[in-house]
Amino acid sequence: MANINPDFAIELKKYGSVNFNACYNCGTCTAVCSLSTEEDSFPREMVRYSVLGLEDEIQASLKPWLCYYCGECSESCPRTANPGELMMALRRYLTAKYDWTGLSGLLYKSLPMSIIAFIVTAIAVIYYSFYESFNVEKIMHFGHLFEMISIAAVFSIILVPNIIRMWWMTVLKQKAKVPFTAYFKSIWDLIVHMFTQKRARDCDDNEFRWLEHLVLVIGYLSLLFTTVVLDWFGTDNLFIIILGYIESAIVFIVTVDFVSSRIKQKKEIAKFSQPSDWFFVIWLFLLGFTAFVVRVFIDLNLIETNLWMYLIHLTVLVQWALLIVPFGKWTHFLYRSFAMYFDKLLKEPVKA
Amino acid sequence: MSDQTNNYDVLVVGGGIAGEETALNLANIGYKIIMVEKDLSIGGKMIHLSKVFPTLDCSACITTPKVSETARHPNISIFTNSEVGEIEKISENNFTAILTQKPRYVTEDCTGCQLCEEACPVSVEDQFQYELVGRKAAYIPFSIANPRIAAIDIENCILCGLCEKVCPADCIDFTQEAIKTKINIKSVVMATGYQIFDPTIITRYGFGKFKNVVTAMQMERQLVPTRPFNAVLRPKDGKMPDNIAYVLCTGSRDDTVGNPICSQVCCMYSTKQAQLLMGALPMADVTIYYIHVRAFGKGFCEFYNQTVGMGVEYIKGKIGKIDEAENGDLIVRYEDIESGKVKEAKHDLVVLATGILANRDYQSMFKNIVLEPDKFNYVKQVNDLSSPSKTSIGGVFVAGTASGPMDIPDSILSAGAASAETASYLRRAYNEK
Repeated sequence: MANINPDFAIELKKYGSVNFNACYNCGTCTAVCSLSTEEDSFPREMVRYSVLGLEDEIQASLKPWLCYYCGECSESCPRTANPGELMMALRRYLTAKYDWTGLSGLLYKSLPMSIIAFIVTAIAVIYYSFYESFNVEKIMHFGHLFEMISIAAVFSIILVPNIIRMWWMTVLKQKAKVPFTAYFKSIWDLIVHMFTQKRARDCDDNEFRWLEHLVLVIGYLSLLFTTVVLDWFGTDNLFIIILGYIESAIVFIVTVDFVSSRIKQKKEIAKFSQPSDWFFVIWLFLLGFTAFVVRVFIDLNLIETNLWMYLIHLTVLVQWALLIVPFGKWTHFLYRSFAMYFDKLLKEPVKA
Repeated sequence: MSDQTNNYDVLVVGGGIAGEETALNLANIGYKIIMVEKDLSIGGKMIHLSKVFPTLDCSACITTPKVSETARHPNISIFTNSEVGEIEKISENNFTAILTQKPRYVTEDCTGCQLCEEACPVSVEDQFQYELVGRKAAYIPFSIANPRIAAIDIENCILCGLCEKVCPADCIDFTQEAIKTKINIKSVVMATGYQIFDPTIITRYGFGKFKNVVTAMQMERQLVPTRPFNAVLRPKDGKMPDNIAYVLCTGSRDDTVGNPICSQVCCMYSTKQAQLLMGALPMADVTIYYIHVRAFGKGFCEFYNQTVGMGVEYIKGKIGKIDEAENGDLIVRYEDIESGKVKEAKHDLVVLATGILANRDYQSMFKNIVLEPDKFNYVKQVNDLSSPSKTSIGGVFVAGTASGPMDIPDSILSAGAASAETASYLRRAYNEK
């Protein structure tokens, strides 16, 4: 037995849902969705759960992650109930629920809190550079060190426990019998989905968006690799330098298109933007752009006299690594692919 | 132009069932009525229907006596193929309007012999059979048209003159021009009816692209005694369908097409058609995909239950998209709401239960004054609880579906209310004199 909780709509609204209570359960959204199957029918089921406020069912469901938001459901909805945006809001909600620290929820729901967090991190960076008396070498060395430490820390303290929580909520709690070998058998799917989002290609008319996203993901990950492992800012290797330029350029050029489509609001998917969406695309742009300019400054030997440029980059980097990656939209990279993985596990036939 | 013959008591705009009922009620009291109909025949939509729900009475058998009575009534002057415009309110009980009689190119001496039809070499789609079959450019609109006078479809006519040669009554006249007449009236009843939703705008349903997706009106025409094929056939290959699907709420209760309200008739006419299909095609399966079945009127619920009992399948879930298989069959995709699962089903004929929309023609008929629309573009009922036929203009009344979606009995009731209110308006002015 579940208790109906109409107030859940108020909670979901903070995560960006729009008008989903208008739903009259015709099922058009589910029927037009090209990803919806007889096994996994959505989004109406999620709309129904949300209207009734069945939080347990929502938290146990992987369906919000199976949607890649082409927006066709919202375009076809006879009640303008925006099922696509509800799925988006549910992904934000689930991100908050998976997060054991509770900070994701706080930052998603409250713009002032997000702004405060961004300001505090910026002040910390400036304070640190005062502390180091603006010594370029020390600061840049720290910046490189910070990248490695923050990646390790964020992963081990925040993201891995969160994925375990997700696993607990969606697989263990459901008492589904998953054969142990399935965890290994499906690991390839996890990797494929993580790096290609190949399921998104099945969304109607989505080829370009998928390609754009793929290019961005690969550009971002390789930029990360180039700066952290290959030490792009410190290297003299011409190949690595050029590689870094290309990667950072890819990141900021592709994100310009993402930001502009959110501004134009022509596509269904870009009609509604929450602060978390803006932070994600804009900071990704800033990350690529400032990295690019910092390396230009280094190559022109300007960085010694223009430390401010590196400090801007460092601030963006710190905010990215400490706020957006662990508690913001970045996590969809992991949750989406793990959702596909868990979904595969749950569908693995149990041997009698 | 202050000719005595141009003075009337009531202008009734529209010659459908609501207009006829209003005109007859008022004419029987003794008022002089002018009825203006934009089509070639009076009778409106009802004259094209097969049966009425829930009694399954013959629609034409109910409406044609009213049509004849209206046409023959000494107090009613009918102008078909005509438009009315520039309606102006001078004072209470004093309106003027301009009547435009469009040329028919056939004089009223026509005997309806149809020789011109035989002679005419031009074939075009027949709008009165909802494009299921063709007609000639010189044609009698439909077999039970009133007046039963031929007309020349001048847009498609090639001016070959063959009809003129064969006409035994010499009544074809290509020199006709539109005639404008100023009329004086004391009050106006708007019975302008509704428009049928055009499903081509819902591209997911493929209407117009997939031949075996038809509208409910096209199915209705296949079920009437004067039906074009004398059988129910699917358009693509003339096969007798044996698995028919109905898509309810096509163009109704749908924000995406700008019509968020219920059309009030589609559930029941689909149910009615399902019953008729079971008679016409005893072996056929009929499935009705619905959001909610609204069987709200007198005897409707019993009728629905009876239909379920007869074996018509009702599935809760709106069709999301329709695809065509190679043999012309259609694959409908929907969410079965009972189980919450997406499903696909194959049917050999899909009927779109198209909804009804406001006919906005009235908005351009007035001069110096605005007949206010409601938010769905029907004529606004300013006092719909206590005076349902009153509009925003005193002396202008509304009858039938011009004021909102309704079925035939409700249209007739509405026409009764409009005629009573009109009579009361006219009588009050007379008493005050």
